[in-house]
Amino acid sequence: MTETSSGRRLAVIGTATAALTAVAVFGVFFVAPEDADQGIIQKIFYFHVSIAIASLVAFGVGCVAGIRYLRSREQRHDDVSVIAVGLGLLFSVLVLLTGSIWAKASWGTWWVWGDPRLVTFLIVILLYAAYFVLRSSVEGERQRRYSAIFAIAAFASVPLSFYSVRVAQSFVHPVVFTQGGANMPSSMVVWYVVSQVAAIGLFLTMLQLELIQRRAERRLRALKLQLERALA
Amino acid sequence: MSVRAARQFRALLVKDLRLELQTRETAVAMVLFAVAAMVIFQFAIGTRTDETTPFAGGILWATLALTAVLGVGRSYVPEREQGVLDGLLVAPVSRMTLLVSKAVAIASYMLAVEVVAVPLAGIFFVEGPFFADLGLLLVVCLLANAGIGILGALFGSMSLFSRARELVLPVLFLPSIVPVVIAAAGATHAIAGVSNDMAEYRGFCLFLGIYALVFGLVAYATYPYVFDD
Amino acid sequence: MSEGAALAVLGPNGAGKTTLLRMMATLLRPDAGELRVAGHECPEHADRARALIGYLAHDPLVYLDLTAWQNLELFADLYGVPRGGIGDVLERVGLLARAYDRPRTFSRGMMQRLGLARLLLTDPRLLLLDEPYGGLDARGAELLDALLGAERATRAVVLVTHDVERGVALADRVMVLRAGRAVLDEAAAGLDPSAFRERYEALVR
Repeated sequence: MTETSSGRRLAVIGTATAALTAVAVFGVFFVAPEDADQGIIQKIFYFHVSIAIASLVAFGVGCVAGIRYLRSREQRHDDVSVIAVGLGLLFSVLVLLTGSIWAKASWGTWWVWGDPRLVTFLIVILLYAAYFVLRSSVEGERQRRYSAIFAIAAFASVPLSFYSVRVAQSFVHPVVFTQGGANMPSSMVVWYVVSQVAAIGLFLTMLQLELIQRRAERRLRALKLQLERALA
Repeated sequence: MSVRAARQFRALLVKDLRLELQTRETAVAMVLFAVAAMVIFQFAIGTRTDETTPFAGGILWATLALTAVLGVGRSYVPEREQGVLDGLLVAPVSRMTLLVSKAVAIASYMLAVEVVAVPLAGIFFVEGPFFADLGLLLVVCLLANAGIGILGALFGSMSLFSRARELVLPVLFLPSIVPVVIAAAGATHAIAGVSNDMAEYRGFCLFLGIYALVFGLVAYATYPYVFDD
Repeated sequence: MSEGAALAVLGPNGAGKTTLLRMMATLLRPDAGELRVAGHECPEHADRARALIGYLAHDPLVYLDLTAWQNLELFADLYGVPRGGIGDVLERVGLLARAYDRPRTFSRGMMQRLGLARLLLTDPRLLLLDEPYGGLDARGAELLDALLGAERATRAVVLVTHDVERGVALADRVMVLRAGRAVLDEAAAGLDPSAFRERYEALVR
């Protein structure tokens, strides 16, 4: 039956994620070398970047699920799509929070317009918040269809937004403020990879959890309805 | 595109333009809105400084983005009356033809506004001569309008079936149109001053072209699903 | 359905008559099952079916702010029929004198007649009519009667109506819907309209 297999899947992914997260946190804070310039606050970058990428993965899943919904019109794809987009949105907010903390610690301001990643995620949040506004303003099958269409369009917006912000910024701020690109020493890279996999694992775990809950709720509601009809 | 589709496209576009010319509601309101917006921006930012040239491109395209929201919102109003949309959908015209004709109609309204707003922005905000650059700016406008038209036609048609469509449309449309504003403002800025940075200008124009292409593909793939059939 | 055939779809409000008709008009996609209209699989080949369909509903489906002539030009182009027929069609519905006026200035009956003109222009083989007598004035009703009577030979008609007697009188097959299901589907040939009315009332209670 689907319940036990998805339950088992959840258990596997969940445990793996929990283990990875524990390893990542331990590794980042106790093993990875401290950055010479920024000190301990630089550590937040591991999480900032890995959550950012996980959120993009989430939006990608939302887009793909949207495409699959349009082709097959099966409810389960819409479930995956809406949950993935919701998680992506949640992670994006975390990206802004961690980025903001880092900015405050580095420069004393809570926000910098000069960081293309931060600005892009602001736009991304607006975009995917709009997804939910759209969802709440249409009903029935159309709701699922339009959500799928917008999930696709919004995902196409993301790289375009990022690129345009970066190009525009590069004319005003020729120095790239964000740190942690390809120039990370290998002692840091390994912990970055661990946190990245953990972040994606977190996304998958929450996705699976939410999917199971949704299906259970639906089944419960269907049973209630049947019961009412039988008693009437 | 077959001859028949071309005839249908032309008929639909003529319909939209005729409706606009005969009622003249939307274009005039859009132009007035654009001018009012630019005046507001001037009082919001411009009075703090004498140097408004750096802002010219930004103010112009912020204004045009907001005007575009108005225009897209109005563009499907005729179809909402009297069940006319059903009349179109039941006809043997492909959904793509409907989308493309709407996109071109929206782009046309935008061009009509730009014909007034661009020179006006030049007069209000740019110091020094700029008339020679109007041709370059026309290219920027055409490319930006393509992206605005395509997205506007797609989201506008979805908002036909939404509650609170006056709110839903801007919320969907504005964040999606941010790259256009950035690139168009950047291209405008590159040529607004005394010196023209053609490399920058070309880069931004290329970006606008790519944007229109990407969303053209997205619209092509998703538009058939907007309607219930 | 074959040429010259007419199906009347009856039923109380909310029974699903309009939904059924809209599906036949390829405006809606069925959740389950197959749909073949005028010999074409829908929704895959809906385009080909649409060229043969004429749909008339409660609303006339015309643009209020284009002139009558411009409206018909648009539909002529959409359906790929020559524009030469516009004048004749306008004359038939009695709107030739108002050809250059906008439907916004028309009465309801005139607007519906323009909708009828849209239909006549494209000479559809399948007529899908949803309560068409609703907005029609006397002249329009006459025309519609002709369409459904004398000129029916080359067309098939599906008529959704509240008017049980008329439906039975006009059609050769009758279907009654109730809460989304067909509770009756039989030939109308031998049916007496008033007797049928009683059966109908019983069915839909």
